[in-house]
Amino acid sequence: MAMKYLVSLGHYVPELLACLTMFGLILVEAAQEKGAKSKPLVGATAFLGLIATFVILCLNLSKPGVSIFTNSIVIDSFGTFIKIIMVLGTLGAIYIANQSNDIYQGLKSEFSIMAVGVLVGGMLLTSANNMLLLYIGLETLSILSYVMASLKKNDERSGEAGLKYSLYGGISAGIMLFGMSHIFGVLGTINFSEMAPLLAEISGDKALILIPSFLLFFVGLGYKIACVPFHMWSPDVYEGSPLPVTTFFSIVPKLAGMAVIARLTMVLFNNSGIVSVSWLGALSVIAALTMTIGNISAIGQRSVKRMLAYSSIGHAGVMLLGIVVVSEIGLRSLLFYGFTYLFMTLVAFYIVSFVNDKYGNDHFERFSGLINKHPIMAISMIIVMFSLAGIPPLSGFVAKFNIFSAVIAKKYYVLALVAGINSVISLYYYMKIVRLMVFKTSESDELIGGLTLRNQIIIGALTVPVVTLGIFWEKVIGVVTSATLMIQ
Amino acid sequence: MHGSSHLLNWILWMPFIGVLGNLLIPGSKKNAIRYWSLINTAITFILTLVLYKNFDTSVAGMQEAYNFSIPWIKQFNIFYTVGVDGISLPMIILTGLLFFLCILSSWTVEKSVKGYFSLFLFLQASVFGVFLSLDFFLFYVFWEVMLIPMFFLIGIWGGENKEYAAVKFFLYTFFGSILMLVGMVALYYAKGKGVDAFNILALSGGQFTDLKLSMFGSEFSFDKLFFVFMFIGFAIKVPVFPFHTWLPHAHVQAPTAVSVILAGVLLKMGTYGFLRIAYPIFPSASVYFADAIAWLGLVNVIYGAFCAMAQTDVKKLVAYSSVSHMGFVMLGLAAMTTQGMNGAVLQMFNHGTSTAMMFLLIGILYERSHHRYIVRPDGSKGFGGLYTQLPKFSIVFIIAMFASMGLPGLSGFISEALIFLGIYERYTTITVLALIGLLLGAAYLLWMFKRMFFGDVIEECKSYTDMNAREIAYMLPLCVAVIVFGIYPAPILNMMKASVGSLVKLLGTY
Repeated sequence: MAMKYLVSLGHYVPELLACLTMFGLILVEAAQEKGAKSKPLVGATAFLGLIATFVILCLNLSKPGVSIFTNSIVIDSFGTFIKIIMVLGTLGAIYIANQSNDIYQGLKSEFSIMAVGVLVGGMLLTSANNMLLLYIGLETLSILSYVMASLKKNDERSGEAGLKYSLYGGISAGIMLFGMSHIFGVLGTINFSEMAPLLAEISGDKALILIPSFLLFFVGLGYKIACVPFHMWSPDVYEGSPLPVTTFFSIVPKLAGMAVIARLTMVLFNNSGIVSVSWLGALSVIAALTMTIGNISAIGQRSVKRMLAYSSIGHAGVMLLGIVVVSEIGLRSLLFYGFTYLFMTLVAFYIVSFVNDKYGNDHFERFSGLINKHPIMAISMIIVMFSLAGIPPLSGFVAKFNIFSAVIAKKYYVLALVAGINSVISLYYYMKIVRLMVFKTSESDELIGGLTLRNQIIIGALTVPVVTLGIFWEKVIGVVTSATLMIQ
Repeated sequence: MHGSSHLLNWILWMPFIGVLGNLLIPGSKKNAIRYWSLINTAITFILTLVLYKNFDTSVAGMQEAYNFSIPWIKQFNIFYTVGVDGISLPMIILTGLLFFLCILSSWTVEKSVKGYFSLFLFLQASVFGVFLSLDFFLFYVFWEVMLIPMFFLIGIWGGENKEYAAVKFFLYTFFGSILMLVGMVALYYAKGKGVDAFNILALSGGQFTDLKLSMFGSEFSFDKLFFVFMFIGFAIKVPVFPFHTWLPHAHVQAPTAVSVILAGVLLKMGTYGFLRIAYPIFPSASVYFADAIAWLGLVNVIYGAFCAMAQTDVKKLVAYSSVSHMGFVMLGLAAMTTQGMNGAVLQMFNHGTSTAMMFLLIGILYERSHHRYIVRPDGSKGFGGLYTQLPKFSIVFIIAMFASMGLPGLSGFISEALIFLGIYERYTTITVLALIGLLLGAAYLLWMFKRMFFGDVIEECKSYTDMNAREIAYMLPLCVAVIVFGIYPAPILNMMKASVGSLVKLLGTY
């Protein structure tokens, strides 16, 4: 028995490494002189730990799926790929946090510690194979997120964000537990792979209980990925939180939520039972609503950060489409979407972070005439905005094309059309920034400080994949095609 | 199917070489950038002429020697495939010519020269991409990429309301493209995801005629549904009547050279899309919807003409005249007869040259007057007596105007006559009504001419100078083209005869 657990641990190295990084960070932070201006050791520890995790995850990518710890956790290449994206997202967010003034100098190391903590929760969530572990992962991820949202202690809005986030989070977690207990009551198991065969044959009264229970279960997850109608918290939280935290929120918790919904759908609802039909029907309606409402709300925003928050709701809707189709190709397109979305989000938020530091806010007007002052930054922003809207030959287009093909392969033409029209809507508000940067003249000739050559190179380097993944995406598609979700 | 020649690749990528060169030249050396761009477009134009010289007019399909195909994305069976046939060749030559002349006409652009010429060459490359692609995915990518340089060219170098125009243009076209994208992916799956599932030629021939799909419990015909999707995508570009509202804004706000390209080449991409994609892939649906296309074309002709007549801005007048003239192309396409289709393709070429002339001339005038009012908002004359003040300019203007009006002996006449010949038997009523459009065309052009060129020279016009050598240099080739192809259109007709013939034959079987 002990041997079996040791073997299980062998598959669990990335998670353990991430945990170790978090503890290491706490120790290193404590060892630093109190009130020290900068804590380079903390940053170095975080980077080393995360890069080690990343390397091991990459090595694991080609391994076949296994279920470990008495079948409560599944390690497969689908989950590993999502974890890779999350680790990269965490790395990027920590880097932005170290640059940004939005995180107080004394709290930068706290940010790193909590970000890695959220990452651990997200990794657990991604590979959970029973409801209890799913819940633990979700809470690990959430509780730390609440603190992160209110990291800007002296700012009212940041406090409000934290409170809102935790209230919403608490309520939806409660609703989710309520749903879970019903599911356990009817099916007698909390393990997903044991639930799957039972679910396929269920009908009658049991189905009548199970359908609403699963919808209640979905509330907790839907809240995490901020899909309509559980999205109300997200714009306020995204706007109130410090900018690096927003960056982090729009990548890591979102992808973890997507991964768990994808796993649930693939494992439990890959059949034609009545429960599956209801779940998929609900999911497709939610996806269409999420896209539409997210994008329409983004149009009227004044703050770029808030606009990006709404647009990330829109993107969540598109990613859901990759799940609704319940197919390998859908998952593949979801992974590709997540991968490209990572780079686009990082560049966009990184640039907004500089503008925000300079002017104290990130209203649209602050971007006026940026192309004359900082051409590299402005051109990167243009590329990212067009890519987010899905203009070829940029990676955002390829990501959308993949989702489209997954949806149309199932002959869901209406969903494809809704997604397409949403692209047009999103183009309108993304174009607003491009218009301001290029067509308008700036308010003052003052340059944005802190935009050193190194930072410009990093912005440029992060933009390179946004372009190249749009033209030479064969290799990445090859990698994500081999990433499969294990179904027992 | 590797062809023996890389000529098409050279034509397609030569403008990109130009862009790269421009980026290497420092922005302060404006003349170096201008000359480099000029040389680059000149080489491209010569390459298109070489293509014309080696073109085998007896072949109906793609020219075997120039077919070039390499895999791009293997998992989706997307290829980089380029080819040329009799329908795309006139468009390629027109593109080569107009961009070359437009570089000359853009000599006076002073605002960030480097950006302007780089975007302009980038635009040329994407236009070539559209006309040369034989892979649907590649076609789509170029079709969309083209929007980016256009957006910036209108938005940065345009008139006072440029932003609105640029955004409207971008959003409209993007909307149409999305419908096209859905259709494209649906075709990919209908074809079975095979190696040829994105190949336009392999998709052609009407293999989707009997395919059905069910939505919301009722059955739809696959080809009719997606023909409508494609139709809207292309119709926005043409622009066909209810989708035309972006065009006047874009034209009026765009700088001269961009208006020329917009009217001369980009509008033709819409009708080219019908000829290359919508018709060959969905022939039965095309025949089914022919009546609707014909009526929409007629609305274009008449409505465009009436709108043109009401304009006080001379550039807007020409913009609406484009709507009207593209209506004739749509009529020719709806005819689905040999004469009609030949006339449509010829009209695409001829409208390219004559409208380009009109826009270039208005640009020349605008550089002197800095306004374009035929009648100012306060009711006074914007121009008067230009004929006595600018004799050379007036002669060129007369040629352009008559060509655009369709006067016998000039290029517009032959194509319009062919279209009417082709459509008469099938749609007699529409033919008669469209003739009224022709009459209206003469009316608004002559009325505009009278108000601007005749009468006393108004005070303001006395300071205008006549065309200089550079301006004459870029107007001359177009004058020659308009006159020569008006008398002897055979070179272009021969080019397309075989290809158009095979398309008509395909449509005839439904």
